Amino acid sequence: MAQYALVIDLNVCVGCHACAVNCKEWNTQGQFGPLSDYDPYGETPSGVWYNRVFTFEVGEFPNVEIFHIPKSCLHCQEAPCVPVCPTGASYKREEDGIVLVNYNDCIGCKLCSWNCPYGCREFDEIEKVMKKCTLCIDRIYDESLPPSQRKPACVLTCPAKARFFGDIEDPQSEAYKAIKERGGYVLFPSTGAVPSNHYLPRTEKELDLSDLEERILKPDSQLFLEVWKRIKTSKEDY
Amino acid sequence: MHPPLSLIFFFVTGGTSVGLFTLIYMLDILSSDISKEILFMGSFVSLCLIAVGAVGASFHLGHKLRAWKAVRRFRTSWLSREAIFSGIYGALLLLYTLLLHNSKNSLYIGALVCLFGLLSAFSTAMIYASNRFVLEWHTPVTVLYFLIMYLMLGAGALNFLLSVYNPAYGGIFKILLVVLVLAFLLRLYFNIRQPYIKRPSLAEALNLPFNKPVRLVDKGTTTENYCTKEFFYRKGKERLSVFLPLAYLLTFFIPTAFSLYFLLMKENQILVSGVVFFSILSGSILERWCFFVEGNHVQNLFYGLYPSEKS
Repeated sequence: MAQYALVIDLNVCVGCHACAVNCKEWNTQGQFGPLSDYDPYGETPSGVWYNRVFTFEVGEFPNVEIFHIPKSCLHCQEAPCVPVCPTGASYKREEDGIVLVNYNDCIGCKLCSWNCPYGCREFDEIEKVMKKCTLCIDRIYDESLPPSQRKPACVLTCPAKARFFGDIEDPQSEAYKAIKERGGYVLFPSTGAVPSNHYLPRTEKELDLSDLEERILKPDSQLFLEVWKRIKTSKEDY
Repeated sequence: MHPPLSLIFFFVTGGTSVGLFTLIYMLDILSSDISKEILFMGSFVSLCLIAVGAVGASFHLGHKLRAWKAVRRFRTSWLSREAIFSGIYGALLLLYTLLLHNSKNSLYIGALVCLFGLLSAFSTAMIYASNRFVLEWHTPVTVLYFLIMYLMLGAGALNFLLSVYNPAYGGIFKILLVVLVLAFLLRLYFNIRQPYIKRPSLAEALNLPFNKPVRLVDKGTTTENYCTKEFFYRKGKERLSVFLPLAYLLTFFIPTAFSLYFLLMKENQILVSGVVFFSILSGSILERWCFFVEGNHVQNLFYGLYPSEKS
């Protein structure tokens, strides 16, 4: 059985939030929109987002690493949010494994979000229904789009090309290969939810800065002097 | 977890309804001191309470008019089961009350009312107990505690009812005392258990090696969102140290002291019984509020809002 999912390369993700913004932009006007905003131009703007980017620091100073985790619905294979839904509004599609919410059946009881260990469902206070990532189902099956565009908005927009989309059960897919070849892993495996979205682990890299120190960070280096001059000028302007 | 007032309202109204009817029906079978008048009044009050509770609970829903659709997933959803069992309970209770009104007492229908009332209570409790992502709730004690709390609310209401109609009847004092003590012990266990819960860590949530410290630097938003509001109630956490002792005092200590007084004096007084029931009722509202606030959802790990195992 097919299982569509996202695979995110944590080596490449720079935490620019472009995926989250483009997700919001596409989906708020798409078939599963709007993604309502509350107080958008006020002091405490908030609203529904399908995708949120978290930044974590691991290790102890000075040996620390910063990494970014974009987190949207993980389209779990044993999705705990689905069986608790009293109306059947939350369901997992058999043909591609995408977890969706039927807004016409959702009564807004929020029980599905209580049973999501990843916090990937958000209640729309204006529409009064639960909303979540659809893997841009209205894009990926849209035959009016060229095949190269039939991907989730977050994947298409990622400037660092950190996101892959595909069937993680299909050995020919890019997503499957990335998981197998680069040790893709899932968030919070102990929940038993078996998430479909995977992350490619960071590989530790040490930068060799000796060349920089020897050739550039010298008082007689033209590049160093130019940079220093500009820093001073900008500070004075400020 | 953020306490939804509509669900707390349903807990006290539905709980009092089921508890009151169960006790009054059992006492009617076991004792001849329960007059038909008291039985009718008890059934009528139970009926009103479940009706008011159902209307109140609907305020938790985003779309109240679609509430009927909640019957569809009986096979998998405890909320669906609760809706169905509560509905049958209400319908049977209406029938039973109408029969009583026409001076007909059907033991079988009464037994069915009890059965569906308890099934409804069990299903409500399972909504919380089956949630494996709020570890404070995820225990069989939650179910037992729910049922005892329902009986405690019912015993308080019945005690008040009897003080009006049959002050000489003392059988309820012992029942009230027993359920109060049981409920107190279960609540105490619920609290004592919390520091010993084996909690997941942020490293476990991110599936990282456990030998390095991990901390949240940025949650991707400068303001609160649905997840931080629904699953973490900051103001509630701050007030818990005041509200929890107050809940213990009102729900258990004051009613227990008066129950002992009733037992010793072998006499029921309307005013004192009213105070006892009001104390149980207001205490239970506070207790439910604390029950929600004490619950920590594991998704809070991603926002740095989950308690560590040591705290």
